Amino acid sequence: MEHPAELPLLEVEDLRTSFITPDGVVPAVDGVTFSIARGRTLALVGESGSGKSVTAYSMLRLIQPPGRIVGGKILLRSARAGEIDIAKLGERSGTLYKVRGGLISMIFQEPMTALSPVHSIGHQIAEAILLHQRTSKAEARRLTVEMLGKVGIAQAEERFDQYPHELSGGMRQRVVIAMALVCRPELLIADEPTTALDVTIQAQILGLIKTLQREIGCSVLLITHDFGVVAQVADDVAVMYRGRIVEHGTVRAVLKTPQHAYTRALLDALPSRRARVA
Amino acid sequence: MNGSPATPLLSVRGLTKHFTVKNRGPGAAATRLIRAVDEVSFDLAPGETLGLVGESGSGKTTTARCILRALDPTAGEVLFRLPDDRAVDLAKLSDRALKPVRQHVQMVFQDPFSSLNPRMTVGAIVGEPLVIHGLARGAELDARVAEVLRRVGLKPEHRVRYPHAFSGGQRQRIGIARALIMRPSLIVCDEATSALDVSVQAQVLDLLKELQAEYRLTYLFVAHNLDVVRNFCGRVAVMRRGRIVELAPTARIFAAPQHAYTKILLSAVPSPDPDVPMNFQVAEELAKLDAG
Repeated sequence: MEHPAELPLLEVEDLRTSFITPDGVVPAVDGVTFSIARGRTLALVGESGSGKSVTAYSMLRLIQPPGRIVGGKILLRSARAGEIDIAKLGERSGTLYKVRGGLISMIFQEPMTALSPVHSIGHQIAEAILLHQRTSKAEARRLTVEMLGKVGIAQAEERFDQYPHELSGGMRQRVVIAMALVCRPELLIADEPTTALDVTIQAQILGLIKTLQREIGCSVLLITHDFGVVAQVADDVAVMYRGRIVEHGTVRAVLKTPQHAYTRALLDALPSRRARVA
Repeated sequence: MNGSPATPLLSVRGLTKHFTVKNRGPGAAATRLIRAVDEVSFDLAPGETLGLVGESGSGKTTTARCILRALDPTAGEVLFRLPDDRAVDLAKLSDRALKPVRQHVQMVFQDPFSSLNPRMTVGAIVGEPLVIHGLARGAELDARVAEVLRRVGLKPEHRVRYPHAFSGGQRQRIGIARALIMRPSLIVCDEATSALDVSVQAQVLDLLKELQAEYRLTYLFVAHNLDVVRNFCGRVAVMRRGRIVELAPTARIFAAPQHAYTKILLSAVPSPDPDVPMNFQVAEELAKLDAG
């Protein structure tokens, strides 16, 4: 899987995203540097307000005013589109549209943020295909049904015409995953993809993401606050605190021998660890 | 903690709650019965913490709400021992007879953002139960609010502020203060720490433990997070589809779960130890369980 000589798919260098408010400038992401190799999963972990989601949204240039990227590089080495510095792209550039949903796609904590309530699920997935690939409607429908099957939705042909409200939370998240992966992105950003789900559903969704990642060969940037999810799903981890990465390494190294005091404090606060101490 | 010979503070017997829901669409039967809680029985000893765990739809919150009589149970008994040792059946008391009993049974809610009235000051929120029950007013009310705020780690000066000025953890402390000010014997915590970051969650759990020791509180701790329950509860009841499938001391549930569902549920929890792999195949195992 790993090619040591190969350059990373994504290199983020000294990224700064600030919110410019009447009360002053809030540096939500304050000089963040990390990289993700092809096929690997990096978890960005931290508590609320640490800047992990703002970092993720910056990758797709989804930061809304008063927030904006004020510095740094987001270098994507796309196999399909060459090197792109996403931080420098114009708001209306065609490349940015190609990046969003094509080269990089995203799944969110709450699937309904990504789904339209007034369009059928099949329509929404097919739309993603038609937007990024030159295919016929019939072919898009065929690919959609195939993808719905891959994410574990039975009777995909009949489900095509169902609306999000007819599905359970776990099923909706499967639809969102189908939508995100149907264009075979090179990077998948998953922002707390299982936080709203029950633990048995979470296990299925995490398993599904891992399986499809292997099949498509994409890298994953996983945003989470849950060290359990980090340990079970990611290869590498970066711990964020107040807009900065305080520790970065392989999952095993960081979780087994944390170097930074904040990482240690977070790990010690885990109920499972406290139980062992008590 | 074991308190085996002690008379239970709460004795739930055959608690059942059915909902009738209207089916929509053509060709469907007009209504359908949902057995949200189905013949649930357990005892709570004074001073103990019982965890009620399960996934969404398992009936854990409905059970808690029936005990508090936020919902009227369809059947069953909820025998509660009052401080004067009289036992009352919460399931059958009239609203009027229920009111004086309510001061002994309090609740702490999940969401510290929606469970506090944004238009009331913290002092008014925390003191309101005493006012409703006519238990204190004026200087005494003020003194008790100040005392309980201090006890939960807030400052008496916080009385004049509004909930929006507080963090999630502080708001949860306000919720705890509001429950505690009634000097209840039983507190039902419904996902009381689920919305909090882990470091804040740890602090709130520590506070609940301290308060339990100090006031000999009994907790019914409704939660979906098995890791939290493991650290906090003496015994655990695992619910699925309205029923308790297993009830045992916490250590035994985690070390040697008996019921197949408990085993699957525990195996699906992602461990923060990379050497303890989680089970990604739960769908197949649950299907097998349901097939019998």
